[in-house]
Amino acid sequence: MFNEITITDGTAFKVAAAVYGGAFLFALVVLLMRRAYSRTIMFALLCGGFLIQTIALNLRGAEIKACPLGNPFEIAQFLAWSLVLLFFIIGPAFRLRLLGGFTAGLATLLVAGSFALPSWDAPYPPGIFGDNHWIELHAALAIFSYGFFAILSLVSAMFLIQQHGLKKKQFKGVYQYLPSVQQLDLMARRLLITGVIVLTASLAFGAVFWINNFELVPVFKLTATCLIWLGYLTVFILRIQKKLVTRRHAIATIALFILAMASLWPVQSARDTEALTEGLPTQVER
Amino acid sequence: MSEVLESLFVLGTSHHATPLEVRERFALTEAQASDLQKQLHTLEGIRECLVLNTCNRLEIYCLADSIERAKEISGLICDKQNVPSELYQQFAYSHNNLEALQHLLEVSAGLDSQMVGETEILGQLKQAYVTAREAHCTGKVLNRLFEKSFQAAKVTRTQTGITRGKISIGNVTVDLASRIFGKLGNSRVLLLGSGEVGEKTAQALKSRGIGDISVSSRTFENADTLANNLGVTAIDFDSFVDQLEHFDIIICSTAAPDALISKEVMTRAMNQRPERPCFLIDLAMPRDVDPSVEEVENVYLYNLDDLSNIANENLEARKAEIDKAREILKKHAWNLWLQLRRRELMLKA
Repeated sequence: MFNEITITDGTAFKVAAAVYGGAFLFALVVLLMRRAYSRTIMFALLCGGFLIQTIALNLRGAEIKACPLGNPFEIAQFLAWSLVLLFFIIGPAFRLRLLGGFTAGLATLLVAGSFALPSWDAPYPPGIFGDNHWIELHAALAIFSYGFFAILSLVSAMFLIQQHGLKKKQFKGVYQYLPSVQQLDLMARRLLITGVIVLTASLAFGAVFWINNFELVPVFKLTATCLIWLGYLTVFILRIQKKLVTRRHAIATIALFILAMASLWPVQSARDTEALTEGLPTQVER
Repeated sequence: MSEVLESLFVLGTSHHATPLEVRERFALTEAQASDLQKQLHTLEGIRECLVLNTCNRLEIYCLADSIERAKEISGLICDKQNVPSELYQQFAYSHNNLEALQHLLEVSAGLDSQMVGETEILGQLKQAYVTAREAHCTGKVLNRLFEKSFQAAKVTRTQTGITRGKISIGNVTVDLASRIFGKLGNSRVLLLGSGEVGEKTAQALKSRGIGDISVSSRTFENADTLANNLGVTAIDFDSFVDQLEHFDIIICSTAAPDALISKEVMTRAMNQRPERPCFLIDLAMPRDVDPSVEEVENVYLYNLDDLSNIANENLEARKAEIDKAREILKKHAWNLWLQLRRRELMLKA
């Protein structure tokens, strides 16, 4: 089906980025005018961006014959795609006002960031995951769990904004359109639980590969991934025990997501370095 | 009579210039206000007087033999409340004759209220008038002025839109509660005290689907009566502190001289419900909730001034209506003043 489409994956990624950017600008302008934006327009814009991005990821996947998660550019794109997909599941079900605008903002940031550094989209050999579907599933689930944590950080940011407004007795502007603090806190709890379950499953699948191919997994990657997982697990346990709640919980989840994002690039570099030292091909012409 | 009209004055403090902390020091109980009124009437040279005592203002309307009597009255208030006269002078205002009349009309129409256009002040003014008349503190002049002011307030409200829109404490509270809890159906409310403002706030919350409301008052009979009026339950005042953790919204409107809810009490309650927020609405004067309670995590404390500020934020669109209302009241004030002058001339003749 996609062979008949004449656009390239690069063009489709750019168009999707423009649509996400447009959705974010739309939300920003309307909110600056102290009005509530149309949910239908926001939903339509995100739908458009998501569909185009799905096409782009499919084109890229068809080219590399695997899930496109081979370089930071693809990881950022896949993460933005997961984030928007989760918005489509969570947004209509829980009717969290402004979540669409916030999602558009973070998706724009992720895709725009991935375009900002051309080196991020370095070509790599086809069949990066070999014939091991477990490791492919591990990678896809890991990035999907990051999608959960991305939307969790958005919900946490919305919580902090609403709480700030309530504490400082601010009534107008963005505050009046945000969901209630209780709704946001409840949603953050659910997202954290789901995200931790997905990440744990991803690590379990990865562990199967790691046990059998110990030497192929870079130590830095393993350490960074385990630390991020431990971080979220700690927050999860403290939350269940009601020791880390509301404001501190929101700050912790945002900080962890920033750390997780910051660890992606070094993890990718470590993998390339490891491959170089072992004389494996890291880049091919696309 | 001419001299009489020239010595009509109003003296007072209100939310306009007097901060909450200072208003607390001048706040009078119902009995104290009544005593003050009787005391004023016995003063030499005071012909008629009326004390208007609400949580936002303490005003004394007087007809005296001289404007100078205002100084004696302010001294009496300071002695009664044990506050330095400099403090009173710093925040007090006074209006004489036509200005006093215009002020009274604006107060009765709600133009001078913290939440412009609110109707509660008219009820308070009527009550103050009835009390003063029954105590024989008012006479021909103040009786006529107050009765005419009630009529003018009604006309102004009918002819303008100053009472339109959400500006009541109840509606503002409902909006804030929605920002904290979302849907209010499952929230539990505790109403502390049996004051009118608290009752109205509870009614506003009930109208938005809250069914679980408890009332507690130092006098259990008052709590029981109010609970029956609202169709809710009354709880023992002595045990409310131990039950705080069960309530999501707490409305305080007691006449207690000191804070009933301290930071320690609230921290203890919140430790039992760390995930669930608590919304405290302090409508009492003096305040029932220690301001430091605001520092407790997941607690949102709003006092009378906070709610009024929010309500007044919605008033920008009403500016044209307020100006229109003021013009109507000016005409009423001028006509009333001319009527009083004419009567005075007739009596002289």
